[in-house]
Amino acid sequence: MPKPKNDILQGTLALLVLKSLAARGAMHGYAITTHIQKVSAELLRVEEGSLYPAMHRMEQEGWVRAEWGTTDKNRQARFYALTAKGRKQLVHEEESWARLTEGVRRVLRYA
Amino acid sequence: MSWFRRALNILRSNRHSSDLDREIAFHLSERIDELVAAGMTLGDARAEARRRFGNVGAQKERTRDVDVLGWLDSIVDDLRYAIRALAHSPAFALVAILSLALGIGANTAIFTLVNAVMLRALPVSHPEELVQITLGADGGTFTNPLWEQVRDRQNVFAGALAYSSYTRFNLVGGGEARLATGSMVSGDYFHVLGVRPAVGRLISVEDDKRGCAPVAVLSYAFWQTAYGSDESIVGKTIALESHPFLVVGVAESGFTGLDVGRGAQVFAPICSDLVLSGSNATLDARSNWWLSVLARVKPGGTLIQAQAGVNAIAPGAFEATVPQHWAVDQQSRYRHTTFGVEPASKGLSAVRSQYRLALMTLMVIVGLVLLIACANVANLLLARAAARQRELAIRVALGAARSRLIRQLLTESLLLSISAAGLGLLFARWGSRLLVAVLSPTSTPIYLDLGLDGRVLGFSIAVAVLTGLAFGLAPAWRAARVHPNAALKANARGVVEGHGRVSLGTMLVVAQISISLTLVVGAGLLLGTFRKLSTIDPGFRTDDVLLVSLNRRPTAKGDDRPQPYAEILRRARAIPGVASASLSGATPLGNSSWNEDMLIDGFTASSERDGLAYFNAVSDGYFHTLTTPMLSGRDFNAGDRLGSPPVAIVNETMAKHFWRTPNVIGRMFRYKAGQRTAGPFEIVGVVKDAKYQTLRERTLPTAFVPSAQDSTPGNQMSLELRVAGPTASVVQDVKALLHDVDPGTSLTTIPFATQVENSLTRERSLATLSAFFGGLALLLATMGLYGVMSYRVARRRNEIGIRMALGAGERRVARMVLGEVSVVVCLGLVLGAALALAMTRLLMVFLFEMGPTDLATFVGSMALLGIVAVLAAYFPAHRASRVDPMEALRED
Repeated sequence: MPKPKNDILQGTLALLVLKSLAARGAMHGYAITTHIQKVSAELLRVEEGSLYPAMHRMEQEGWVRAEWGTTDKNRQARFYALTAKGRKQLVHEEESWARLTEGVRRVLRYA
Repeated sequence: MSWFRRALNILRSNRHSSDLDREIAFHLSERIDELVAAGMTLGDARAEARRRFGNVGAQKERTRDVDVLGWLDSIVDDLRYAIRALAHSPAFALVAILSLALGIGANTAIFTLVNAVMLRALPVSHPEELVQITLGADGGTFTNPLWEQVRDRQNVFAGALAYSSYTRFNLVGGGEARLATGSMVSGDYFHVLGVRPAVGRLISVEDDKRGCAPVAVLSYAFWQTAYGSDESIVGKTIALESHPFLVVGVAESGFTGLDVGRGAQVFAPICSDLVLSGSNATLDARSNWWLSVLARVKPGGTLIQAQAGVNAIAPGAFEATVPQHWAVDQQSRYRHTTFGVEPASKGLSAVRSQYRLALMTLMVIVGLVLLIACANVANLLLARAAARQRELAIRVALGAARSRLIRQLLTESLLLSISAAGLGLLFARWGSRLLVAVLSPTSTPIYLDLGLDGRVLGFSIAVAVLTGLAFGLAPAWRAARVHPNAALKANARGVVEGHGRVSLGTMLVVAQISISLTLVVGAGLLLGTFRKLSTIDPGFRTDDVLLVSLNRRPTAKGDDRPQPYAEILRRARAIPGVASASLSGATPLGNSSWNEDMLIDGFTASSERDGLAYFNAVSDGYFHTLTTPMLSGRDFNAGDRLGSPPVAIVNETMAKHFWRTPNVIGRMFRYKAGQRTAGPFEIVGVVKDAKYQTLRERTLPTAFVPSAQDSTPGNQMSLELRVAGPTASVVQDVKALLHDVDPGTSLTTIPFATQVENSLTRERSLATLSAFFGGLALLLATMGLYGVMSYRVARRRNEIGIRMALGAGERRVARMVLGEVSVVVCLGLVLGAALALAMTRLLMVFLFEMGPTDLATFVGSMALLGIVAVLAAYFPAHRASRVDPMEALRED
């Protein structure tokens, strides 16, 4: 199965999710995918299948907290919220992302 | 992720996976809503939502692997799944567990013995520090004077001790003897070993001084069984060989001396030998070798230091104890003897050297039986995997990783083998006791500590895991390689069991047949040996002969009345029911021997052994009582008495060996007796050859001298009685007559036939056990063959139906199945014969008058296996011939 070009780079999913939660507050998984898609102007698409493993990993790490709640359509959904630890992790991930893009930018310019 | 959290996750995993299901369901329904809102039909939206989400099952598996430290959680799951799967087919589980339990149980039972005899350390403090001091290559036993030298001179050891191995104490004075195994021990025996008293005190250095008062210590087990754990026994006296010994204490539980397999019951100080044997005290005898010497290396000391230490004291110790009556060259050789030092943490054991090979052989045998049982279970699993292949295919299609499936199937196998090991441990507990009973001669029971220890437990767990992998790996591997497409097709057969003509199941059966042939051949060889030995002509007849061994109380100093043996014999002959009676110093196969270096004119010995002849002192009527034919000359008679010229009767082998002719009446011989010679003896008769020490021996040159010409007969003689009718009343009469003639004498009786049987204990037990395990192997292999053939016939109903529809008759179909069986069986037999040829060489030492490649045994075993195999295949073949073509074709 050929991969769509706009798949999210390995390792950046956590960054995007943490940033989304920091910006919008608690969200369920479906809302996270639509949010990332919308904010990125459809440039990025979360591979839905890998979202949940990632969410659970983040929950294990203590970056997010999950709770069952009810959506406006009266459906049961699991809402994820950022923890203090998650906030720290976000700062950390943003920094490393900045370093990475700066590195890539330099290579593209000077190599 | 903390370990604690992971552990929590395992407990939570159930809740967790339902969380995940609900979460995914929510996600999908949101997506469907969106797609429907964008104008899709509900059905398309559903499909599209699923497609976008990807493989739900794989996601779950992946998410779960994140949840927990994957394997830990999934092991709990796998285990739950395995239990459920096995509970679904209880018959399969039962057959598999039982056959494995038998296999693992047999292995554990034998290993328990191996452990007790060869591996277990002595129950004393720091057994690893114990070493045995030996006399160079000459063996292990010391004289008391030599021991005293070592005790007083040594300074490299933290302590040294000596004890006697083969002591037996008669607990009653006169009448029927009640024997206890005993050990004469040095004063610091218990102290050096670090053994503590359970009651009272133990023997100390003070108790082992020349002229000591006789004291005794009981072993805990003996105190329990013989004295009912009565603490008041301490301070009372018991009779040992009719002498009063003060019981001072009971040794701690579990300690039964240093000879593994023998179990000492009563300990007495070495110095009390003076009391026990009166004037014949062995304490100062310089050529009476009866003590084993052990020492404890100082903490941090090495064997090399210990060796250097004993080397330093050797010259002085040997110089001070030279046997005065020895010939000069013997004395000089004695002076140059050296000590050796050997690790002795596991104690010393005659049982160990006697049974090491037999136990190793049994270990190999039961290992092979377990392999066959494994092959059976593997075959069952293969058939089961075939039946489950749809289930597995569905799981693969839903995204289960193959490694996960293999793990799950292996969990099932391990669950089977570990349950089997649990049951096997139970089998082993009574099995090992049964084995000891089978292996011990009735006269000298073997005493072993058969308790379950870490090593035995570890062994059976290791065996269980290994067998679980052995029988589970191949089927699991096969099963997990199913291709979902192929397997999901309605009638996809032959995916799990392989496509080729030779399936894995068939290969397993071939292996089973070849291994069982090896075991059957081995059993055949051992049975043949036992049969040969028990039907051999020993040169005497054992039926209706009763042996009575007499043990006279030692005569006190100054008592020079003649021994009452002549009187005992005269009165024994008068007992009603006694057809004939005789006296002898030793009885055939009775564990005692007497040999001498012969001096014969015209004969030069080519080696020390070549000049050796074996002796026995017998009364007249000995040959008549044992039915050994007299070939020429005469029996002893009343004329052969003290003071008359010494005479002798020799056997054929003796005549031929020393004189190269059977006509030796009138010839003379002498033998070396220290620095002098004994004789000359005139040969007055020649008897037929008879066995002396063992049934296996090549007949030894044997000379018989009249017991009546012995001026100093020992305190121990045997009475042989040929009895017509019941023996019980005869035994009563013998007791009464001894009470009259010589009240202090104790006796033990044993039928001659039993004594001969006892000499074959090892052969009989090996033959019995190998026949049992050979039979078990045959049974398991037959079950395997039957199972595989039935399964193949069931799978091929369709094909058979077509054949029959096209005109193949019942006979032809049956022949086809039988033909397949014969290919499998022949292959198994050929491979088995090759395997057996390689393996039976190990049995060489046990065999008697037959080679390890005995043709008759091989042919017989192969025939037996072939017949049994054809019988096993008959039923599937019959079933195949009864297939109704119409029905078989309609099925698919």
